[in-house]
Parts: sequence; C-alpha cells; structure tokens
Amino acid sequence: MSGLPVLTLVVFTPLIGVLLLLFVPRDRARIIRWVALLAALASLGFSLMLLGYQPAGAEFQYREDLAWIPAFGMRYTLGVDGLSVVLVILTTVLSVVSIFYSWDPIQMRVKEYYAAMLLLMVGMLGVFVALDLFLFYVFWELSLIPMYLIIGIWGGPRRIYATVKFVIYTLVGSLLMLVAILAVAIAHAAAGNPFTFSYETLRGFGYADGLQALAFVAFFLAFAIKVPMWPFHTWLPDAHVEAPTAGSIILAGVLLKLGGYGFLRYSLPLLPDAAVSFAPIVIGLAVVAVLYGAMVSMVQPDLKKLIAYSSVSHMGFVMLGAFVFNTQGLQGAVFQMVSHGVTTGALFLLVGVIYERTHDRQIAHMGGLNGRLPRYAAIFGLFTFASIGLPGLSGFIGEFLVVLGSFQYNGWVAAATMLVVIISAVYMLWMFQRVFFAVPSDWMRRSWPSLTDMSRNEWLALAPLILLVVGLGVYPGPVLDAIGAPVQRILEAVNASQGLTSFSLPW
Amino acid sequence: MEPNDLNALRPELILTVLVLTVLTVDLFLGRTWKWLLTPLTVIGLLLVGVSCVFVTGINQTIFAGFYRVDDLSVAFKLSTVVIGILAALFAPPYLAQRRLPLGEFNTILLFSLTGMFVLASASDLITLFIGLELMVMPAYLLAGYHKTDRYSNEGGLKYFLLGSFASAILLFGISWTYGLTGSTRIGEIGDLLGGSGPAGLVAIGMLTVGATFKAAAVPFHFWTPDAYQGAPTPLTGFLSVGPKLGAFALLVRLFVEGLGASGADWFGVMAILALLTMTGGNIVALAQTNVKRMLAYSSIAHTGYIIAGLAAFAHTADATARGEALQSILFYVLGYGVMNIAAFSVVGMLQRDVRRFGGLAAFSGLAGRAPALAAAMAILMLSLTGIPPTVGFFAKLYVLVATVDAGVAWLAVAVALNAALAAFYYLRVIVYMYMREPEAEPAPIERSPTTVLALGLSVAGVILLGLFPDPIISFLRDSAASLL
Repeated sequence: MSGLPVLTLVVFTPLIGVLLLLFVPRDRARIIRWVALLAALASLGFSLMLLGYQPAGAEFQYREDLAWIPAFGMRYTLGVDGLSVVLVILTTVLSVVSIFYSWDPIQMRVKEYYAAMLLLMVGMLGVFVALDLFLFYVFWELSLIPMYLIIGIWGGPRRIYATVKFVIYTLVGSLLMLVAILAVAIAHAAAGNPFTFSYETLRGFGYADGLQALAFVAFFLAFAIKVPMWPFHTWLPDAHVEAPTAGSIILAGVLLKLGGYGFLRYSLPLLPDAAVSFAPIVIGLAVVAVLYGAMVSMVQPDLKKLIAYSSVSHMGFVMLGAFVFNTQGLQGAVFQMVSHGVTTGALFLLVGVIYERTHDRQIAHMGGLNGRLPRYAAIFGLFTFASIGLPGLSGFIGEFLVVLGSFQYNGWVAAATMLVVIISAVYMLWMFQRVFFAVPSDWMRRSWPSLTDMSRNEWLALAPLILLVVGLGVYPGPVLDAIGAPVQRILEAVNASQGLTSFSLPW
Repeated sequence: MEPNDLNALRPELILTVLVLTVLTVDLFLGRTWKWLLTPLTVIGLLLVGVSCVFVTGINQTIFAGFYRVDDLSVAFKLSTVVIGILAALFAPPYLAQRRLPLGEFNTILLFSLTGMFVLASASDLITLFIGLELMVMPAYLLAGYHKTDRYSNEGGLKYFLLGSFASAILLFGISWTYGLTGSTRIGEIGDLLGGSGPAGLVAIGMLTVGATFKAAAVPFHFWTPDAYQGAPTPLTGFLSVGPKLGAFALLVRLFVEGLGASGADWFGVMAILALLTMTGGNIVALAQTNVKRMLAYSSIAHTGYIIAGLAAFAHTADATARGEALQSILFYVLGYGVMNIAAFSVVGMLQRDVRRFGGLAAFSGLAGRAPALAAAMAILMLSLTGIPPTVGFFAKLYVLVATVDAGVAWLAVAVALNAALAAFYYLRVIVYMYMREPEAEPAPIERSPTTVLALGLSVAGVILLGLFPDPIISFLRDSAASLL
C-alpha cells in the first residue's frame, strides 16, 4: 500500500464537505452548491486513482486496517477488488451527476439537501469498500437515513408515506442481517478463533448447516429488499415516484446496487453451502421478478413508475446472473448492475428534465415532444435503447451475458428471460412513441410555450452518462477485466460446495 | 465496622453531605441567588463521580455483609451520576417558567440518587429494600411535583399507589425468602431457595413481580404512561431512566448475584417477560400522538431489550457469555439513560405553553425554526431507534451479541424486529420536524445555557460512545467480572 489512504479519502471527502457546509450561512445557496459539488468532485477524483488497481495482483488492494473497537474485534478495514472498484466509480460519478443536476431544481432548504446527499455518498461508498462485516453494517445503515430525508423533505405529495415505507422495509431486512452477522462471527469465535468481524477471516470458515441456512435467509432478506426482488419490491415504485429527481438517480443507480453487491460479496462467499442449496429458489424468484417487472411496466401511466418497475425487471437479471454460478452469469450480473446504474440514472434524470418544465409525468399527458424538443428526444431515445439492450450500448452486454449464463443453467430459464428482452422493447418503445411521436394532448399544447430544450447544465450532467453508456457498450473490456478475478473467486467458493447436507435449527 | 469500610463508602458519604448542603444552602439563598443551587449540585455530583473512580477495584463487602462495593456497583453509580447531572441541568428553566421551587427539586433528586447508590451496592435484602424505597419515594414526589396541575397530581398519586403496591409485593417476597431460608444475604438465598419446593417458587415469583414492576415490564407497566405524562417533562426524563436504572440494579443483584446459579429455572420467565415487554411497549407506542406518552411507552420497550440481556444471562452457563450479558445490561442502562433524558428535555423545551402537552404538532417544522435543536432531537431519535453510529445502536448490538452468544437467537431476532417496529414512531418525530410546515402560532422555544450545555453534552456523548465505545466496554468487562 502506498502512503496515501486512498479509500479513506474517497469515502470521507464528502464528510469533510458536510462539515464545511455547517459553516456556510444557509442563505448563501451558491456557495453551498459549490462546496457540495467540489467535495463530490474531490471524491470522484480520488476514486479515479483506483483505476490503478491491478487485476492480476492481490485480491484486495489499497488496504487500510486499523483497530476500531478491539473489545469486539471490530476493525476499520478497507480494501477493494475489481468488483468494488467498478461500483465505487459508478457511485462517485452518479453522485457528482445528481449533485450537479440538483443545481436548479432544488431551491428549498439547500443546505440540508446537500448535506444529506454528501452523507449518502459516505454511506454508499463505505459499503463498497468495507472489509469488516461490522463496518459494512454501519455504512449500510448510514446510507439509509439521508435517503429517508431526501425523499421525505424534497419529495412529491405522498413523500412521507413513501419514505416511511422505504425505511421500515429496509430496516427490517438490515436488522435481521445484523443478527446474522453476529451469529456468523460468534460461531467463528466459538470454534476457538479470536473474535473478529473480518470478512477475509470469516469467509473461509465452514459454518454449520443450520446456521448457514438461517444466516442466508437473513442476509437474503436484507439484500433482496434492497435490490429489490419480487415480492419485496413494493417500496420501490412509491419511493421512486415521490423522490426528487436526484434522489431517484441515486436510488436506482447506486442504492439498489448495494443489494446486488451484498449478494456477491457476502452471501455467496460467506455462506456457499446455503447459497448452493437456495439457488433454485432465488433463481425462481429472479425469473418472476424479471417477468413481473416487465409486464407491470407495460401498463404504467406514470413515466417514473414505468422506469421503476423496469428496474425491478433489470435487477432480476442481476439476481439471476448471480445465482446461476457460472462465469458468464456472474460477469453479466456485475455488468448489468453498472449498466443499469448508468442507464436508469440517466432515464430518471431525463424524466426530471421534462418534469421541471411541465410538473407532470403522466404519459397520457405528453405527446409530440419530438417536434418541440428534438435534442431531448434524441438523448431520451439513446437511453431508451440502452435500457432495451440494443447492441452497441451498455445494456446489451449485461443482459446477453446473463442469458448466456442462464442457458447453461437451464434452457427454460433462458427462454423466459429472452422473452423479457422482447417485452422490454415493447414497453420502452411504446412509451417512447407515446411521449415523443403521438399527437400532443391538449394539456401538452397548453404548456407548449414553456417548453425549452435541454439547458447547458442538463447537458453537462448527462455528458458523463452518455459517454459511459456508449463507451461500455462498444468496449466493455476494462470492466470485464476488472471483475474477472473477483468472479472467479466467487465461483471457486460456490463450486467447491456440495450444498447443505444436513439441516437442523440451531436452537 | 472496620475503618476501611468508610473508605469504600466515600461516594455515598460525599453524596449525603451534598444532599444536606443543598438542603441547607437553599434555606439561606435569596430568590435571585437560587440558581446557584444548580452549579452546586452539578459540581457536587462531579465530585461524587470522581470519588467513584477511586473506589474501583476495591471489591469488598462491608458492614458485616450488608453492603458490597464492587466494580459492578461502581458502574451503576457512575451511570447514576451521569443521569443525575443531566437531570439537574435540564430541569431549572422548566421549573422557573412554572414557578416551581428549584431547591426542593435538587434535594429530592439527590435523595433519589442516594437511594440508587444504596440499591446498586446492596448485598442484603434489607439494604436492597431500603435503597429501593429511598430511590422511589423521592420519585413519587417528582412525579407530582407540579402541585397545581391535576395531571401531575394524578400521575404522582398513581405512581405512589402502584409503586407502594409493588414494594409491598417485593417486601412480602423478601419475608417469604427469609422464612424459608433464614437468611437475607443475597449471596446465600440462591442455594437455599432452590431446594425449598413450591414455597421457594412463590418467594421467587413475588421477588420477580416486585422487581419487574419497578422496571415497568409488561404486564406490570400500567402506571408508567400516566406517571410519566403528568410529571413536569424534564423530571419525566429523570423518572424514565433513574428508577429504571435502580430497578435493573435490583434485578441484577437479585437474579444475577442471588439466583444466578439456577438461571435455567427462571430463564423462561425472563424471556417471556422480555418478549412481552418489548413488543407490548412498541405496539402501544405506535398508536401515541403525544410525544411524552410515546416516549413513556417506548421506555417500556427499552426495558424489554434490557430484560432480554438478563434472559441471555440466564440461558447460558458459559462465563464469557454471562459476562457479555451482564455488560449489555450495564451498557444499555447507561446509553438509554443519556439519550432518553435528553429526548424528554427537548420535549420540555417545546412545552413553554402549559396547555400544549407534548403533542406531535409542537414538533412541526422545527427544522426550519431551530435547526440545531431539530438536529439534536433527530440524532436522539435515531439513537433510540438504534441506527449507527450512535450509542443506542451499540447498546442494541450489545444485547444482540449477548443473546446470540447465549444461544437464544430467537430472542435476538425478536429484538431486531422490534427495533424495526420502533423506527416507525421514532422517525415520525423526524417526519414532523423536517417534513411538515410549522404550526400557525408555534410555541416559543425555551432555551437556557444549562439545557443547551446538557443537550450538547448528551448528543456528543450519544455519538462518541457510539463511535468509540471501547473505554466503556473495557470498564464494564471489569465490572461484570467482579460479580461472576
């Protein structure tokens, strides 16, 4: 490790921004925005240093390890492998985008807003780099409260219902996960080992089958609610519809990835036997999620809700890829996470653009925007196709790899998911047609004069996402290279396992 | 009596001198100088705290077996001092606003703290009972402190009647115990009661009922909401943590020291009480729209979590796991004390208008009117919910560690689910503060240097203890070890 604690800088630079914000008077909105943006940009800059990650090197690089609460063996251990690097950069990019995008739309309680956004960054980044299960949990919970405030304060009319639902759902899962983390750590210590929460130490240990099964269920609940997986997805449409645009970008772009990351980083390597035994159930749920999300998307009258349900479908692909246990599936799952983060983040941003102008998101109220806002239509079209999975854009790689992986697992599963690729084309294109090409509604005609094409700031906010969605679609190599080694390690762990052989409750 | 005995008794002696000093000084101070009593009390309590540090590691039984100064008792006493200082700092502006006397308050508070000290060190059932009564008698007075307010009268009377009833049951249990065993030494009754058949069960049953009554465990909790709602709000803060701390000192003395060896016999009772208490408290708290009552019911839920720690102790015979369970009780009592007393004080600060009775509406839009106060309350609510990195989180974590380690994972799951349930009503306060518009005529906010100082200290403590609990944990390890 070089002298510079890169990961600490990445994670805690936003926190420095929060502390600086405390000293800025609340009516100086311009300074507040600049402080927040610079803090996020600094974090992004530090995260780009992680591109120096060596895929062939040690498993976890840029490690930092300090004693934190020795009484319980909790340590401040940070480190990244390729999987983390990819998601950390996704997080910093999307955070900068959403903080920048909020420049104009957020005019109320600016200081609190940016403080919440920066704190959210700390929590999310921390989750991706923590290598101590307890530290991971602390960051995991830390990411919850800022989002609760962002939806609840700056959200739409039913924001309080939505945000409370979001928090309660997530808390139930995460508290059970806390019990599971403790159970795992205690079981490890009971075998005569020193008490520790270190991920690297805990994962190789052969836990009793009963414990694995229960801990897996607890982890599963926490992660599946976050992903969200059918049938735990009902908080998502509410949260998305009510969240402010930047909140939706982060929610779809990064927060859902926390769940996917949790499965790949913790559920599979830590509890491989249970993962193998539960895989068919998870795959079944994932297929339902993929189908259900796509079918429900077809009938959504609200743009944001449509994209929210399409997230359920796309994240179903991630789960499917993660649990078929082969290289293509896992690589596809990770790639799909990144791609979905970029694409859906951009789509939510674009919905925000039109919402800022019309204060409406009903598809039925739109129409004919192509004539009035040609540039907007072009960009919206680009991300629509990325979401469908058009070759040459990032969405294609992930879905293709997952389908490939699931074909090796079971032909019927692959067939079902292929079907969904078609359905996704149906709902996205139909939506695009109604919004941009249909005859404009009377309602839309009335707001015609106020419609202006994309502003400079909106272009700037979207620019990195456009680059990423095209770049990753044409040249996915760097991401696939980075995640190659982590994926192989996960596969080694699960393929060495025979599943649960005997199952009994531990009490 | 050995000369050394007094040495170990330094904290109690200083505290007693302090009570009498405050009582006397109050008589000679003019109206304009009464405020001096608060710094006097606080500085005196700081001295008591320092003297407590000097009696750590002594671990001796004094007064021919009636009184035991061990590290466990010191842990309880230090928590008592912390709570006492906070209570003394939070109350004055509220009392002044309502023209309630400050001198009596400080005296009564200090008497109650003395009772808690005695309770923490009791190694004999007689001492235990004396300590308990010395603690709760002043508490009854505090509940009814607002003499002209009928809610306060009602609360005080209810607390007094039901509390005396519980004391009587406990005393009856003590007399059964003495009748069966011929001893009142806590260290001796365990073995003797174990072999005395159904009569022994009756004695243990009465002791359990009396003790859990004081701790406000479901189904012995009915006095809590009324007593808490009626009392002047900062005093409620003290009532919700002080006597509870005392009750847990009592429970630890009785069940850990006295009946620890036969833990497996009373595990079932404690586990069911824990489950009932946390779930019952939370479910009723969900339905409250008055913040004071909400905090009162939620304090019942917290009692349940602490009893879960006691149940964990009973379930295991492993010394490490037992130590952890005991530490979790101590840690939770301290952490809960700090955050709850501070939360009540915030309610009190918003309650300048006597008629507004701690309704949730008082919190509407607080973030816009008083950002710092709202942030402090938000942190306290998150801590009470158990969100990291706060002391409330670590306290829950400690209980979870203890329960999982003791092999009662189902109780840990129950605690976790209850914490999620509690999030709903704690976060509702944040919803009101941050996500609603203020009322048309918001009540003015009561700020005074002492409350601001105490609130700042509490919030800093809540976060710092959550981030760096290590020094406390190692101290609690020694404390727990002194009993096991």
